[in-house]
Amino acid sequence: VSPIDWWVLGVWLVGIVTYGWWRGRGSQDLDGYLLADRRMKWGTIALSIMATQASAITFLATPGQAYTDGMRFVQFYFGLPIAMVVLCITAVPIFHRLHVFTAYEYLERRFDGKTRTLAAGLFLTQRGLAAGLTIFAPALILSVLLGWSLFWTNIALGALVVIYTASGGTKAVNHAHSLLICVMLGGIALAFVLAVASLPAGVSFNDALHVAGIHGRLRTLDPSFDLENRYNLWSGLIGGCFLALSYFGTDQSQVGRYLTGRSVAESRLALVTNGLVKVPMQFFILLAGAMVFACYHFIPLPAHFNPIEVRRLEASPYAEEYRTLAAEHRQASEARERHARDYLAARRAGDAAAVEASKSEVRTAQTELQAARGRVIDLMKRNDPKAQTGDTNYVFLTFILSMFPPGVIGLMLASVFAASMSSTSSELNALASTTVVDVWRRTPFGRRPPTPASGTEVGGELRPAAITDRRDVRVSVIATVFWGAFAVTFAEYANQLGSLIEAVNILGSLFYGTILGIFLTGFYLKHIGGTAVFAAALVAEVAVIACFKLTSISFLWYNVIGCLLVVSLAALFEVIFRMTRRAAVA
Amino acid sequence: VPGVPEEPPPILGSWPRLYALVLGVLVVLILLFGAFTRAFS
Repeated sequence: VSPIDWWVLGVWLVGIVTYGWWRGRGSQDLDGYLLADRRMKWGTIALSIMATQASAITFLATPGQAYTDGMRFVQFYFGLPIAMVVLCITAVPIFHRLHVFTAYEYLERRFDGKTRTLAAGLFLTQRGLAAGLTIFAPALILSVLLGWSLFWTNIALGALVVIYTASGGTKAVNHAHSLLICVMLGGIALAFVLAVASLPAGVSFNDALHVAGIHGRLRTLDPSFDLENRYNLWSGLIGGCFLALSYFGTDQSQVGRYLTGRSVAESRLALVTNGLVKVPMQFFILLAGAMVFACYHFIPLPAHFNPIEVRRLEASPYAEEYRTLAAEHRQASEARERHARDYLAARRAGDAAAVEASKSEVRTAQTELQAARGRVIDLMKRNDPKAQTGDTNYVFLTFILSMFPPGVIGLMLASVFAASMSSTSSELNALASTTVVDVWRRTPFGRRPPTPASGTEVGGELRPAAITDRRDVRVSVIATVFWGAFAVTFAEYANQLGSLIEAVNILGSLFYGTILGIFLTGFYLKHIGGTAVFAAALVAEVAVIACFKLTSISFLWYNVIGCLLVVSLAALFEVIFRMTRRAAVA
Repeated sequence: VPGVPEEPPPILGSWPRLYALVLGVLVVLILLFGAFTRAFS
């Protein structure tokens, strides 16, 4: 990283924190602090929704996913537009009519306090840990590739977000999101253009697409139905729809974004925009990864993308063996390049037989290359059984650092920070909202006095409502700082808790279906009471965990299973409870 | 939902039409992805 990159990154970070703080100043009450006075326009909300969903992992790992597994991941998003339409019809008008601060407030009004507490508790646990991972994941990648201290990178990523999120609340978060998502998408677009420009002379964009296509990296549609296949048309449409319904309809980090809309129409337009833009956006992010894959056919390919593990191997007793394996890998890579060039020449000559023959050669060379890489990974494991051999997340940034000029690297790092800050700020903001509205204000200390709520100064004196409003804003600031500190602390320990990280990631998909089932029962099955839905949620959760433990069903289907179980069991339990009550009365 | 005034969207005149546009675009994208997969496999 050159001095000009540091300047670009520094100016960007100071600028975004100052901008967020400036746009968020002046909130006097909870409506202002937590919901930006419910005056946001649809464009700002739409950008905020997209920025919340797009974390640094989206920026770094999605192109890596296309590099290693191809573009089939795009199908994961097919259900999202359908979910946006369903939410526009159901959740948005209901939340607006009830004038709630959080999604969980609705559950108490519709069912009872214990159902609200269950949902809010699940959200705080899951999202609190996830916020730590949102900070940790990009910090780890940056520290491995750039040699930065992981400890200080975690603190820097967390502290920058806390400054403007705590000082300005939702107003600061939403306005900062508009800039953050533009920088992030600009970074992806620039990376895509530069990846295409990095192709060697004589290899066009179309050639690169065909080279990536030989290995199936451009397969974006798989219509086969297979419950164990993670990404196909049906898991994307059905499982993806349920996941998006859960995420956008019940997760406060997203609900809090569109509750800031000044009308139902503004919130709906924001969700509709997200439904229109999300799939093409993910397609282009994945295509950037496929371009990197094609590029590495014509430029030197590292045997492994994690430089720390490679350095450890070079300093180990296996160094000599590693050098031999690295040479084998280099030869396999050069063979693949030769066959890829033969393939392109055959295509240009229009020789169909030669095209098929060279395609087959490229595939064979790829298999040999993978085998050579596998031997390097085996050696890493022999050197240290706990070695981090997965390197998907390092592919894209390695490519950027090795191929892009000074200045542009600074812009790319700014994009990574932008992506990390955008999702973390929403998470901290939502955690603070839920802590204050669903926990603090229900305790004896936080209850509002039973006086007319004016929230204004009269004759130089504050009425009680205004006093409690200001107190609640102070508590919200403290809650934001608390959750920021919690997330950074968890991020500092996350590196030592490898298996726990995986567990926390799975935790989200285990609970989303159940929470969605509770909300859908509330929206559509008006005759079902709180006790029935609460019992159904507990049983459904046990069933989902059993699915996870005992079957190999892909995680996207857990959302469908959990949701359908809650809805059907709640209906069944309600009938049983009513019959029991009638029998008791008789 | 009672109590919430129905404000029309700025384009297409009604919400159902706008929702149809979102779903229609999804169908077109899936068809395009199918063609893309066939072209480069």
